[in-house]
Amino acid sequence: MNTNYDPQAEEINILQLSDSFFPTGMYTTSSGLEALFYSENKIKNPDELRTLITVYLEHQIGPADCTALGVSYGCIEMADINELIKVDRTIYSMKLIEEVRNASVRSGTQLLRCVNYFLPGNEFITKFQEAIKENKASGVYPVALAVASQSLGISKYNSGITLLYTFIVSIIGAALRLGMIQHLDGQKLIHELKPSILATVAKNINRPLSSIWQFTPGIDIFQIAHELMPSKMFIT
Amino acid sequence: MSSKRIPRVGIGGPVGSGKTMLIEQVVPLLYLKGYKVGIISNDVVSREDADRMRRNLATEKGLMAEDLVIGLATGGCPHTAVREDPSMNISVVEEMESKHDYLDLIIIESGGDNITTTFSPALADYFIYIIDVSGGDKYPRKRGLGIETCDLLVINKIDIAPSVGADLTVMDRDAKTVRGNKPYVFVNSRTGQGVNEVAENIIRDVLFEETPKALVKH
Repeated sequence: MNTNYDPQAEEINILQLSDSFFPTGMYTTSSGLEALFYSENKIKNPDELRTLITVYLEHQIGPADCTALGVSYGCIEMADINELIKVDRTIYSMKLIEEVRNASVRSGTQLLRCVNYFLPGNEFITKFQEAIKENKASGVYPVALAVASQSLGISKYNSGITLLYTFIVSIIGAALRLGMIQHLDGQKLIHELKPSILATVAKNINRPLSSIWQFTPGIDIFQIAHELMPSKMFIT
Repeated sequence: MSSKRIPRVGIGGPVGSGKTMLIEQVVPLLYLKGYKVGIISNDVVSREDADRMRRNLATEKGLMAEDLVIGLATGGCPHTAVREDPSMNISVVEEMESKHDYLDLIIIESGGDNITTTFSPALADYFIYIIDVSGGDKYPRKRGLGIETCDLLVINKIDIAPSVGADLTVMDRDAKTVRGNKPYVFVNSRTGQGVNEVAENIIRDVLFEETPKALVKH
């Protein structure tokens, strides 16, 4: 349970966790965008990128990762580490592409390590890290984010916003570096996606684990294509 | 998460300065002394360097298992991957440590980048920065964090100095001024000239001349 809750600090804690400066390595991921860049199905303009990200949010990150994060909050409040491990294993098994799975686990475990460094002694972070060390849990990112943000007094809803925001920043950052869009387009896209972020979190954050789902076969295919690329700039 | 930290050497330097070839020369020298090494190669846009080292050191020479050479993409941000946010590298290093606890050393090669590159102490215990003479003999006196702060400065490709108008005595003088008491070494990684000194520095300053794990009698 969180024993360090400071309502005055919640906003600044959200800013810290959602900052691209926060060391989770997400700048190394393109979520398959790099494979799309080198395929015949190129993103031709910011509108197409916005459509792709919206599909990601509404059909994968929302109903899968965001729901897992919401359920994790309930487990932490009940101090139920076994149920949290069940959520971890469920969302881990839903990450179908190996390099996506590995990147999520690496980001999650490093997130926990960093928060534990500046907020040592949190009981639930310690328990979850022990479960990871014993290979009972993977440390996949949405569950790790729930544990970390709850320890910092961030509400479940705001943690969901953080999850989706960090995701779209990482994919838009990749699009910028790939030259698909320009820097002003990137900020415009973030602005335009705000309603979608809010609606996706509201729709998915309180759903039970039994209702978790995702369906993005097209995205899965180009993420597999990325995994098979002989030469690449991004991990995913 | 790892049980025991294996000593780590970070190697950084500009594109084409010879980071990969230096590793290809140093690893066999360490192997001859009995030290077992794992390699993580951060590439900017490909796995070319990792594939080459795997083929050369593992497949052809048999100095290590093939899964001990790992290529890692950096999202186009090689200096970030070893300094500001080394989280992905740390994860991969720890995976290597937990799977291969018999290793004596892990070498982390940065993607080619600029003269401000440094390694986070959280990632590497010892930092080698490599430049080559083709950038001109002004390179050491231009300074930069990499040249100034690294534990060992390596100046490579000394054989082509006359062809590119680089005066090695100037580089030697400036390196001495910029580095103070910290070591630097001139090498030709293609022939292996000077590379033994790099290996000796690693054995002395990183491995503290300890007996290789494989040779320790239990």
